[in-house]
Amino acid sequence: MTQQQSSALSVEGLTKDYPGVRAVDNVSFTIKQGAIHCLVGENGAGKSTLVKMLTGVLQPTSGSITVAGRRHCPRNPQEARDGGIATLFQELHVVDELTVKENLTLGMEASRFGFLVNSKTDEVAIETLATIEPSIDPEARVASLSVAQKQILEISRAASSGASVIIMDEPTAALSEREVERLFAVIRRLRDANVTVVYISHKLDEIFELGDDVTVFRDGKHIVTKPLDEVDGRQQLIELMIGRTVFQQYEPRDIADAEPILQVEHLKTSLLKDVSFHVNKGEVVGFYGLVGAGKTEIARAIYGADKFSGSVRFNGKEIGPTPHDAIAAGIALVPEERRTQGLFTNLTIRENVPVMNLEKISTTGMLSPSRERQAAEHFVAQLGIATSSIEKHTEKLSGGNQQKVVLAKCLFAEADLLLLDEPTRGVDVGAKTEIYDVIKALANEGKSICVFSTELEEILGICDRIILLYEGMLEEELLNGEDVDIAHILNVVTGGAEHKGQ
Amino acid sequence: MSYSISKTRHTPFSARLGQFLRDYYIYLVLILVVVLLSVANLDRFDLFERGNFLNPKNIVNILRVSAPILTLAGAFTLLMVSGHIDLSVGSAMSLAAVVYASLAINGVPFLMAFGLTVVVGVLLGAINGLLVVKLKITPVIATLITLSLYKGVALLMVQDGVSAIKSGGGLKMPGWFNDYGRSGVLLNLPMAFWVAVLVTIALIVVQNKTLLGKHAAAVGGNPTAARLSGVSSNKIVILLYVVVGVSAALAGIARSSFMSLGDPLSGDGMELTAILVVLLGGTAFSGGEGRVLRSFIGALIIMALTVGMLTLVPAYYQTLVVGTVLLIAAASNHLVSRKGSK
Amino acid sequence: MSVQLKAKMAKGLKMSDEAFITLLVVSAAVFIFLFASLLVPNFFQFQNVVNLVTNNWAVISLGVGVTFLLVSGNFDLSVGGIVALSGVLAVWFAQAPGGANALASGFGMPTWMAMLFALFGALAIGGLNALFVVRFKIPSIIVTLGTMLVARGIAQVITHGSQRNTNLPDNFGFLGNIYLFGTSIKLPVVLMLVLVCVAVVIEKRTIFGRLTFWIGANPVAARLSGIKNARHQTHLYLFSAAIAGMVGILLASEFKSGFSSRGMLMEFDALVIALLGGVAIAGGFGSVVGMFFGALILATVTSAATGLVLSPDWQYILKAIAVFLAIVAQTWALTLKNR
Repeated sequence: MTQQQSSALSVEGLTKDYPGVRAVDNVSFTIKQGAIHCLVGENGAGKSTLVKMLTGVLQPTSGSITVAGRRHCPRNPQEARDGGIATLFQELHVVDELTVKENLTLGMEASRFGFLVNSKTDEVAIETLATIEPSIDPEARVASLSVAQKQILEISRAASSGASVIIMDEPTAALSEREVERLFAVIRRLRDANVTVVYISHKLDEIFELGDDVTVFRDGKHIVTKPLDEVDGRQQLIELMIGRTVFQQYEPRDIADAEPILQVEHLKTSLLKDVSFHVNKGEVVGFYGLVGAGKTEIARAIYGADKFSGSVRFNGKEIGPTPHDAIAAGIALVPEERRTQGLFTNLTIRENVPVMNLEKISTTGMLSPSRERQAAEHFVAQLGIATSSIEKHTEKLSGGNQQKVVLAKCLFAEADLLLLDEPTRGVDVGAKTEIYDVIKALANEGKSICVFSTELEEILGICDRIILLYEGMLEEELLNGEDVDIAHILNVVTGGAEHKGQ
Repeated sequence: MSYSISKTRHTPFSARLGQFLRDYYIYLVLILVVVLLSVANLDRFDLFERGNFLNPKNIVNILRVSAPILTLAGAFTLLMVSGHIDLSVGSAMSLAAVVYASLAINGVPFLMAFGLTVVVGVLLGAINGLLVVKLKITPVIATLITLSLYKGVALLMVQDGVSAIKSGGGLKMPGWFNDYGRSGVLLNLPMAFWVAVLVTIALIVVQNKTLLGKHAAAVGGNPTAARLSGVSSNKIVILLYVVVGVSAALAGIARSSFMSLGDPLSGDGMELTAILVVLLGGTAFSGGEGRVLRSFIGALIIMALTVGMLTLVPAYYQTLVVGTVLLIAAASNHLVSRKGSK
Repeated sequence: MSVQLKAKMAKGLKMSDEAFITLLVVSAAVFIFLFASLLVPNFFQFQNVVNLVTNNWAVISLGVGVTFLLVSGNFDLSVGGIVALSGVLAVWFAQAPGGANALASGFGMPTWMAMLFALFGALAIGGLNALFVVRFKIPSIIVTLGTMLVARGIAQVITHGSQRNTNLPDNFGFLGNIYLFGTSIKLPVVLMLVLVCVAVVIEKRTIFGRLTFWIGANPVAARLSGIKNARHQTHLYLFSAAIAGMVGILLASEFKSGFSSRGMLMEFDALVIALLGGVAIAGGFGSVVGMFFGALILATVTSAATGLVLSPDWQYILKAIAVFLAIVAQTWALTLKNR
């Protein structure tokens, strides 16, 4: 038991600054060796940034990390692993073309003169895999595995890599219940083998079932680290996570007499399970849920970007199956990933703005440079895009200004319904407020807006009505207002409703 | 999410047939081509002995002519598996042929000429690798540059007014020069062919048993995963370009021996043949997927087809057939592969 | 200071990356020409400049289509093959039937109709490119290598691997051999210049041109912004094929022959001049003007080499060095500018 007391990993005064934001603010805490240590906090609380610093993806602005008594300052994931920290990232990092066995040992192979030789690592890896999920054939090609099986493969790889600390970032997002149980058994076995597991999850039940200790983050700050035994249930943990955060004040708006403009019935995709809802004219509707709850899928289905079954009617009419049709009908989307899906980064602001409404800047196919310039200048002024010129390439803008350019694209489309998928992700506080003001102004003009977000503060601050999602299902719909129960909302989107039902 | 078991104990027959076809289609195609050519009417042209295609003499002929592409196919496959391409192989081959012939005609003994030419191959491959890895020039452009460069050097090495390095003007090719590519040493097949077989066997071992082979697939299949796992993709890519360079040099030696001259244009179009052969063997253009042995079989198919076709139709049909096969091969393996949508 | 005011002030001073690179290419072309004039006697002559342009009308014309496709993020290596195919088709269609041998007899169409049908043949190859690249989503470099072989292959089959040049109507050679007002400038050169000017307008001043940049810069964002990527890329392949078809027909008319090896390696030259002109193969970046001056750079270098009595074999090495320097210089200049 004495070993349990020694520290596996500790951080001291760790800080990470982004331009305009302090993502992690002077954080110090210690993780005990051979324990399952949970990290919790709202989105944007600083967990991911912390993990990225631990794994060498980001370098801290100041502060220090110590692993097993040694200073740990990795410059890349490889160095982090050499230092004893293995990580399961949220995205899958497996090679489809190789076999399960080959993936298990990728980068850790024993070799003699360049030839692969069998070694203990292989055996340990295969054994680990067999205990977690015996049905996976080590000789099978990874391409033939399901997403969940690939995840298990990655877990086995980390578990068998000989690391003293394994970080798991939302490892159960794609797993079935049975697979989750097996994973937990493995994690406990790792603990018995004196391996430290840092476990990050939004699913609070998992944390109570599995964890020894918990560290709570809020707004980039370390709030508390204590044994889970001393936490009094979900409710208290949720309170710690929310704290006394002053949510942006929601001002109720008068939209009682509005008629529905968008009707979605029995929407189904591979993830969504029969989702139905409507959006009224002049209303701001918030879709809130964890990563993978189905927010982006709803937005993309309405927009015609993905295939779906069910009916989506806008102004009483079915929309065609492509984004082109959606825009023509009067719908615009601010996509989830602005750099890869929203912006033309090597083009200028002027060239980015008009793309969704070509008629407005052209006459019979000929561009009108003056109208194009006016449009860009108009939005630079209206949205307060900080730039020296409309001729600036958008890749050189800050995140907030890039997002404003994407928003300008959609505004230029003069849509009646705006779908905003994570409209303020990676955006500094100032730009956030400005974007919220624009959304409110648009709603007051009679436009309808759907906000898809993992940030509760955002949802509570600007939305008239809130739709809660959990694992592809519409769990609950509620009106925003002063009396809205934040703890209840968090409970629902972290699977609490199901928990109660069982 | 539904739970699924990956073991394929009760796979339906149709699925097993599909898998069988995916794994072995290349051999079926080879058999099909050979059978078709054998039963086709062959007495229109006198290129081969009248009678059947499956005549030992014809087979020896085809295998002798095929030595260069058979040498090249395996290395080219490994490079494509890593998600890279080399358009300079044809020029590298020509340059090697010219170097080898110059050495031979100037009295350098066989082994030394052979060794020096291989060293040239290492150098040519390394240049490609460095352009791609160190200067970060896209593989297509980098090797397009060296395609032009190597070809230029090969042309300059041959005197003005002469089209190739060959016997004449007081110099004479030594006897061993031609023997390497033509005279049978085993089963009536020449050294050049057996070198191609050895290279292929070596590369099959490399693909299945070494770090290089495994990491090539990792780099081509999922570069991010490879990087995060600590695979040093730069080293792998340079090494693979060198392997291709060496194979191109060996192919150049085979071609110049067969033709008994050092022709600076002898490798022209080889990059196309290599791409064709490798695609036919089921290698994915996007990387990750591909087997050395299948490309070898793919090369046999193409050679049987192009040489065999000469017995059926005039030579000027060749380009059309090669282009059509290239399109069909690209389409079919792209549609079959799961990465089709990528 | 208001944002608008700042924007207006900056407009005059700040230059887009593209204008910067184009300016760089133009300066390089001028510099290389002056440098060559120092080395090569009689190089610094107006007639020589004219020759540099007129001798390269074919590859510059092809470069226009290739540039648009590169900007949209696609290769087109089929143009050389299409040049051969359309020329051979035009001759074959125009040849009178019942000639002395197989290569001397054709379909006996009037010249205009033969040329029109030959153009359809070129468009068919363009359609094939679009089908495989856009519909089947096969990498364009493979597809267009394949269609290049197919196009040239058909030309070889029609000409039995050689050429057709007999039994042609007299007016077949008309188009390719009109000289302009007693100068040495032929009609194809004028057409090329018109094509380049039209292409510049399309690139800079039309929705069509802008769509090309959007799709090349970010195809995902383009689709999510309501652009019909597939349709536009199909148009681009058809236009490129049409240009190549015209070039092939004009060359056939100029030489009064359909030669199956005509346009050999022209696809690579068209790609090379686009790269020299600062067009990025990653897509979304480049200009027709840059390509035009890229062609002049290549022409100056090769003709200066000839002037220096270097063996013609040097052109391959010079081409390699030029492209290498262009690519390295472009990366370096942009890094420097944006630091």
